[in-house]
Amino acid sequence: MLKRSLTFILALCMVLTSLGVSFALDADGNSRKGKYLFRKSCRSCHAEGQKAKDLSPVDMTQAQWKKAFADYKKLPCYGNWKNVKEKDIKDIYSYMYNHAKDSPSPAKCK
Amino acid sequence: MPSPSEFRVSRRGFLKLSGAATAAAALGGSGHLTPVKTAQAGTKLESGFESKFTVCDMCFNKCSAIARVVDGKVQKLDPNPKFLKSRGMLCAKGNAGVRQLYDPNRLKYPLLRVGARGEGKWKRISWSEALDLAAEKMKAIGQKYTRCGFMFMAGADMQSTYVHRFAKAYGSYNTLSHESQCLIAGTRAFLDTFGEVPIPDMLFAKYCLMMGANRFESLVTPDSIDMMTAMKQDMKLVVMDPRYTKTAAKAHEYYPIKPHSDMAVMLAIAHVLIKEGLYDQEFVAQKTYGIEQLSKHVEQYTPEWAAGESDVPAEAIVKIARELGAAKPAAMVYPGRRSSNYKDSTQVRRSFAIVNALLGNWDRPGGLTAARMVGLAGGVPLEEPFYENNPPDRIDAGKATLMFPEEGSFKLARDAVLEGKPYPVKGFFCYHSNPMQTVANRAKTVEMFNGMDFVMVMDVAMSDTAYMADLVLPSQSYLERLDPCSAQQGSSACACVVMRDPVVKPMFEAKPALWVMQELAGRLELGKHFDFTVEDFRKAQLKGLPGALEALKKDGVYYNPSKLYGVYEGKIYKTKTHKIELYNERYAEMGVDPMPVYKKHEEPGANRFRLVVGRNAIITQSSSTSNSLLMQFQADNALWLNPKPAKELGIEDGDWVKVQSPAGQQWIKAKVTDMTRPDTVYMDTGFGVLSKQLAIHGKGACIAEVLVDDFDRISGNMAMHETFVTVSKEAA
Repeated sequence: MLKRSLTFILALCMVLTSLGVSFALDADGNSRKGKYLFRKSCRSCHAEGQKAKDLSPVDMTQAQWKKAFADYKKLPCYGNWKNVKEKDIKDIYSYMYNHAKDSPSPAKCK
Repeated sequence: MPSPSEFRVSRRGFLKLSGAATAAAALGGSGHLTPVKTAQAGTKLESGFESKFTVCDMCFNKCSAIARVVDGKVQKLDPNPKFLKSRGMLCAKGNAGVRQLYDPNRLKYPLLRVGARGEGKWKRISWSEALDLAAEKMKAIGQKYTRCGFMFMAGADMQSTYVHRFAKAYGSYNTLSHESQCLIAGTRAFLDTFGEVPIPDMLFAKYCLMMGANRFESLVTPDSIDMMTAMKQDMKLVVMDPRYTKTAAKAHEYYPIKPHSDMAVMLAIAHVLIKEGLYDQEFVAQKTYGIEQLSKHVEQYTPEWAAGESDVPAEAIVKIARELGAAKPAAMVYPGRRSSNYKDSTQVRRSFAIVNALLGNWDRPGGLTAARMVGLAGGVPLEEPFYENNPPDRIDAGKATLMFPEEGSFKLARDAVLEGKPYPVKGFFCYHSNPMQTVANRAKTVEMFNGMDFVMVMDVAMSDTAYMADLVLPSQSYLERLDPCSAQQGSSACACVVMRDPVVKPMFEAKPALWVMQELAGRLELGKHFDFTVEDFRKAQLKGLPGALEALKKDGVYYNPSKLYGVYEGKIYKTKTHKIELYNERYAEMGVDPMPVYKKHEEPGANRFRLVVGRNAIITQSSSTSNSLLMQFQADNALWLNPKPAKELGIEDGDWVKVQSPAGQQWIKAKVTDMTRPDTVYMDTGFGVLSKQLAIHGKGACIAEVLVDDFDRISGNMAMHETFVTVSKEAA
């Protein structure tokens, strides 16, 4: 019975992976730390005069941030995220989502 | 006051100035926006005075002005006729700014408290002693209680940005401003309806319904000036206010509405607009969310019902709704500014916003306009550090449903400090703000300061808050300061930038906030966050605005001729549904009424009155009441009391009365007048000071002593008008 269950779960995981099904992050991480991590980890590229587009939470809507982070491993810059821990990603997402363009508290400045 | 002979302005020079001022006045009326030619700052005029641009700091409006300087002394302040946001106006307070500079009571040196807190005994110390002490205390408090154990507060000053920057570099989330005393409920309401806080396009409005705002006395530029011009252009002004203000006196119609019933009138107006099909149906269908829910919701709110709640006749409500509908989209319910009134102030302002949405006036001439592009950047970027041992959030976090995390709530933060939960806050730095005079329930503020290990205040004068400090730092007056640039929004008047250069050398040992922050940062190993000058900061602010610096030096103002109407064409609204939310989806999810629901309010009952507070055209809360020039107009406040209850209480005009609430009591002279309702008494803000180092000491009564502290449940805004008082004839 146990063996059959494990096989089923393994099969399900393989199917989900092959379909590219993404998981949803919750925006209940530490937004304040996320702001710091965003600057440290993302703004080195995503800033004026740098190699990637200048970026702020207010550049996108909550739905857009949710979509972007649901599949963050597919983001073009994911290769540069080697030193960013899973928990840090949640904090960064919480900052971006909670201060998005259509959030109750849009970020004031970059 | 200087004698006329001290104004060394030649007749020819005077005529040049008068001509410029007249031309500027004409500009306001015509709506033409081309600045006129006038005397330029920095030019030595033949009449013997120099003219230098400055930016007024006598209230929050930041009007560009011209200082006339003779032999290094400011003789006079004039309006800058090229400054369209004020329509070339400088008000009484602005004219009196020179007395802030030369006030003999100014703070001159750093002062260390040597008596009991609030006793007024001080010892002069050097700046290095003061800064060493402040840094030592900040370090000790940060180590013992975490960096969030130190709280920062800064007023609406152009250098407040450096205080907030310091708080971030130091690592405290506990920052406050005047906004939770003033306007955050209104901000919350319009943000949650339109996704943005609007700027009224008063100049081109055809109809304006003003609920409680007093725009002809409590000046906001360009609204106050444009309102007069618009009325000359046949705009109809209807005012509802429990008090007969000067704005009410100038209105076409005035209704002495019962306090706390604005929402009832608004919902009834929405009822009529929808029932009679007078709303902008195309606009509502295309750009709003929730008309079906709103239509059903307001069915219950008939004009007859609202009349019973508000004392505004049902026929008047119907007439106003019809007139608004006929004048739309150049018709508005004025969004107002101060909304620190009631426990449901966000919902009250939501009802204003919803009626505006029904009128389809958003982003259109004569309606509510979006912020225009100014283009001023944020200045030198801050590499904000993160301190792992800090608590997760502000001390007041989670105590109101949708509090702004950068503003917080003074009321809720103070309660949390007094409780010591969720963590202790033991240090306080206040810059150019005066919560002792402006925050309801002064006794609680005193108690908070008494529980602090260290309180430091920086200001131009010994305010009541400075009077409670351990260390007082003398701030430069705005006329002595080099300040960063400031962006200004003025709807059809302008989107502009102003900046402030010193017009005279600093006096005494007064310093600017940036210098103090730099000195403290250096002592706390935070110096890298303040490694810049004001000029560097300005350069970073103006990087996207070529020619702006030159315009600022030449004209005292830079204009961005950015788009004014139709800004939202092709764009989403920054709300959850990306439409203007008549029905707020986010509120519904959070268990908050998605549309404003009128709830019965407590009535004052027998022998009690609702206390309302405000100000007039010559006082700005507590920052200007000690100005000796303005004191010639008003050096006292009085309790406005209706003749009917006055007779019942045996009170005559000019009698001393005791005003008592659950928060405290004050003695004040009665002004018996039918300019207030029988159930409502009124007091001006800014009097009854504790500080013996202010010229106004011993005059009038203090609102903060008697106002009960309550709060708007959604935004955390102070709710000052939830106060009921008794009034009795009694000498102090």
